[in-house]
Amino acid sequence: MPPAKQRRRTPRQLVRGVRRRTRRAAGRLRRAFWRSLQLRVVTSTMVVSMAVVAVLGVFLDQQINTSVLNARLRAAMSEAQADRIAVLGFLSQPAGEPAKQSGDAGKSLQSGGDSPLSQATTALANRAGSASRYSVIICNRKLPGACFGTTNIDERAVTDKMRADVVKQEPGKNSLWYGDLHYKGGSEPIPGLVLGARLDTTGAPQVHNEYEIYHLIPLNEEEKTLNAVRQMLVVVGVALVLLLAAIASLVTRQVVTPVRLTRQAAERLAAGRLDERLKVRGEDDLARLAASFNEMAANLALKIHQLEELSQVQRQFVSDVSHELRTPLTTVRMAADLLYDAREDFDPMAARSAELMQNQLERFESMLADLLEISRYDAGAATLDIDSVDIRDVVLRAVADSEALAERHSTRFDLRLPGEPCMAEVDSRRVERILRNLLFNAIEHGEGRDIVVSVGADRDAVAVAVRDHGVGLKPGEENMVFDRFWRADPSRARTIGGTGLGLAISREDAMLHGGWLQAWGMPGEGSQFRLSLPRVAGAELRGSPLPLVPPEVEMRRTWRGQMTPVLTPAAVDGGHDAD
Amino acid sequence: MRTRTVRSVRAAGLALALVCGGTACSVIPTGASRAVTVDDVGREDPLDPPYARVIAMPPNPDWRPEQVVMGFQAAMASVDDPSYAVARQYLTGAYAKEWNPDSGVTVYQPSTTGDDGGDDVDDGDTEARITLKGTVVATIKDRGLYRPSDGPLDEPFTLVKEEGKGWRISAGPDGLLLSEPDVKRAYRLVDLYFLDSRREGLVIEQVQVPLNPASTFAKAVVERLLEGPSASLQGAVRTAFADGTRLIDVTTVDNRVVVNLTKGVSSDNVAAMSAQLAGTLSGIAGGSSFEVRIHGEPYYSSDRPLGIDAQQQLKFDPWMAPGNIRPFYLQDGLLRQLGKDNVGVAVPGEAGGKNGSFTHPAVSGHNLRQVAALSENRDGISVAPLLPDGKWTQWVTGKDLTPPSWDRYHSMWTVSRPSPQTSVVLRHYYDEAKHEVKQFRVAAAELNTVDVTALKVARDGVHVAVATRNAQGDEEVKIGTVIGAGADSRIDNLQTVVHPEDKRTITDIAWKDGKTLYVLTGKSELLEASLTAAPASQVAYPRLQSITALDDYLLAGAKDDEDNQQVLYWNATAAKWEPWIRDESGAVAFTAGGPSFPVFPLG
Repeated sequence: MPPAKQRRRTPRQLVRGVRRRTRRAAGRLRRAFWRSLQLRVVTSTMVVSMAVVAVLGVFLDQQINTSVLNARLRAAMSEAQADRIAVLGFLSQPAGEPAKQSGDAGKSLQSGGDSPLSQATTALANRAGSASRYSVIICNRKLPGACFGTTNIDERAVTDKMRADVVKQEPGKNSLWYGDLHYKGGSEPIPGLVLGARLDTTGAPQVHNEYEIYHLIPLNEEEKTLNAVRQMLVVVGVALVLLLAAIASLVTRQVVTPVRLTRQAAERLAAGRLDERLKVRGEDDLARLAASFNEMAANLALKIHQLEELSQVQRQFVSDVSHELRTPLTTVRMAADLLYDAREDFDPMAARSAELMQNQLERFESMLADLLEISRYDAGAATLDIDSVDIRDVVLRAVADSEALAERHSTRFDLRLPGEPCMAEVDSRRVERILRNLLFNAIEHGEGRDIVVSVGADRDAVAVAVRDHGVGLKPGEENMVFDRFWRADPSRARTIGGTGLGLAISREDAMLHGGWLQAWGMPGEGSQFRLSLPRVAGAELRGSPLPLVPPEVEMRRTWRGQMTPVLTPAAVDGGHDAD
Repeated sequence: MRTRTVRSVRAAGLALALVCGGTACSVIPTGASRAVTVDDVGREDPLDPPYARVIAMPPNPDWRPEQVVMGFQAAMASVDDPSYAVARQYLTGAYAKEWNPDSGVTVYQPSTTGDDGGDDVDDGDTEARITLKGTVVATIKDRGLYRPSDGPLDEPFTLVKEEGKGWRISAGPDGLLLSEPDVKRAYRLVDLYFLDSRREGLVIEQVQVPLNPASTFAKAVVERLLEGPSASLQGAVRTAFADGTRLIDVTTVDNRVVVNLTKGVSSDNVAAMSAQLAGTLSGIAGGSSFEVRIHGEPYYSSDRPLGIDAQQQLKFDPWMAPGNIRPFYLQDGLLRQLGKDNVGVAVPGEAGGKNGSFTHPAVSGHNLRQVAALSENRDGISVAPLLPDGKWTQWVTGKDLTPPSWDRYHSMWTVSRPSPQTSVVLRHYYDEAKHEVKQFRVAAAELNTVDVTALKVARDGVHVAVATRNAQGDEEVKIGTVIGAGADSRIDNLQTVVHPEDKRTITDIAWKDGKTLYVLTGKSELLEASLTAAPASQVAYPRLQSITALDDYLLAGAKDDEDNQQVLYWNATAAKWEPWIRDESGAVAFTAGGPSFPVFPLG
């Protein structure tokens, strides 16, 4: 079925998916690790204790191994010694016994199977018991019928190499091997110990001196014990590491929890909740930290309160002054209008003065209006008159308003508007004012070059960018431009006669919409202002449809960055920009 | 962060110190408040007792001819080389192909004195002859059937010198030649338990089972049991195991011997099988109980395994351990039974009340006890129930009858000798319904042409012992088996266990148990005979007249120099005969017409 086929993913895709998920998980883990002090302490404790436990475990294991095997070896050696003495006793029975073996083999044909060696082996068999203790092989390869064994030990357990070693070794001296013991009828070889020695016949010259005695001691019980010990060590080691991790976690928790509470309180304090305080318990370091924090918060709150009051007073003052100035200004204006209208009757000096007064009064009026507007913002009295409008229309209106000014500065607008409508719920008056301000600003600083006005839109937001190619902004000025009465070059006169409050009001307007007003600029590259607004009133803005940095600049910068790794200019206000 | 790490490390150190300290303070617990059960790993495995064995070694080129023969003997005695590959290396290529080690074992006792039979060999010789001398003690044939024998051993070996290899045997006796110690080391005498023809009783066969290092001894024994009886019991005994049953393993689990078989038996054979296994393994398992599994699965169902008591064979066959049965004896021609304080009590009925001038009584074993006795002139046998109204009834008339013998199937045996060197073995059943005695002639070809002087059927109902005298007057004792019942009865597989000796007569025979027979000779010698051992002399007592035995009880009727009679008891701990029966006054003495012919039921 085609849809199923489509859904089926290739192995490569699967691998890529797995890799992606792994990377994501690793990233999450890394973040968690670096964010949590507790996790870091527990991890390092675990790593350190694991190393310690591993070293101790290996050491203990080796010690136990050695002591267990040594004990078995000592027991085996003493048994072997006793057995050798017993065998020598049997073999050196005085001549005349019915069964005469010894070196005089030729004449002992009739001795049959009841040789002293056979009796000795039987005695050793009874002494050794079943195969789980040990088996014995006694052999004299120089004499016929002088090879005996006990239990079901396979004589192949004694290899030619062992024999060669034993023959080389002095009589009575043990040679020792660890190896696999084979038993007749047993399917699996058993790990074991082989002790071999030649019979020391110095005290009994009548006994042939080439008897080799091998003791074969199975060590499967020891192996079982040691395996059990090893398992126990592993279990105990793991338990110990986990225990230590738990202890470390508990201990850090006691430290980290108050720190975490303090951080949360600081965050709330930063968010403006100045009455946030910590509980102070006890008198330890952490309690003192909490007390200091509380004191700091209290002082801060007091200071902020005082500043707020002061600011309130100032704002009130500005507002009051603006209001108070309006009444006399109206009168002055009326008088000035009269003078202006009658200027043609005045001498040229007086007429010029009347024109100047008229101009400055207009500017004074708009400044006063701006002041009043901004004091409304300060008082929190500004409200929106929301309406669904096509932003393109707003832009066109603002551009039309600025047309005259542009012509005076011989500046042309380059409009880049999308084909379809860009509807957004905004207060069109305020948005128009923002755009007008931006356009005036661009004309004023554009030095007669073209001004590009772009409109962009996506599902959630609309944006308008105004780009000029003037002197641009120095690094750090991107935010200062929105300050009240800020001037890029204080020596430069205002040509258009802006009040110095336009951009500040524009930013307040944008913020009132829940939008952003941001600036970008570089010396010599001009500047760009971008207004981004949510399409739906009250919605949170997550990104802007237009880039803050003009694409051509961005491209040039990337290209340059690839060619020569020079230091790129300081990043513009990236805090809110999701581009 | 740093202080925290330090703290964790400190915590870790403390924890470690606690763990180490905690374990170190109790290396060996001295204040144990409870008993601790510890597995004894070094203990012997009863199923596989320790043993020594010969390891066969290939010949050494430097050995002299007699050393090569010695090496060959040792290689033959090696049990862990079933194909005798090493032993064949002592032989020349041609003789190695010809030599057949499976044709039986000759057990010999090497002669301790004298010449080894070897000629002195010079360096230039290429051929040598070595003669092995000694006494043949026994043979082992047919799956471990050990039979004592005697005769001199004189086995020549011819050796040739092969270039680069040294001496090799080019001719010698066939089969294995093992010295008695070799056999003792490599074989074990084992009692195999089989069933009698009615599957009611157990019959013991003693065989020699070779030790096999590749398997446990118990396994070898059970395997041998599953193979069935050897030729000497063929036809006379049965086995509970189904045909083709094989043994998988014999192991010990929780002090219990688990026998794992490939086939089960029908439910009516379970008790018999259990008894066979328990009896056969009783000598090895050392009192452990048993369990039978089929292919590793419990016998009946998963919740009830087939457990077998250690002494199951005794429960199955009451005659295996008859316990304390009081003997009977004759006094003044009356049958008495030994009572409290060794004082005799007259049996009920005519047997205990009416002087019938009988001798050689025999008491039957079944619940309705009967006594059979031979008339004094040996021409008739009368039987009387041991009941208050029991009356003597004559069952048999004949000439020169042997004393009667009851078997466990309520039949009474005797042998009639109508003429010298002619014997007719007779078996009598009493038909309760018709109140008549049925007599059957028992086929016994070997006995027809000799004088049978005594016949006793063992308590297992299968073994029978006869004492015979041939025309030359040589008397010997044979043990055979009873095959069939009623008219089909026959005696077969007769083996001489006491060989004739100059002028030795056999006075009486009595079964100790299913394996051992006591033989009383005319010279008042007491011999213990069995199929698997040469007769052994027991401590005798002058003038013993008759014997009877039941397991460890051995009683004899004896006379003193004045022909006074008394019953003697063999006190094994003191190793002497003791007068046994007290009279009413409590005295133990030989008296005229005193106790004689002691008899235990059956045997």
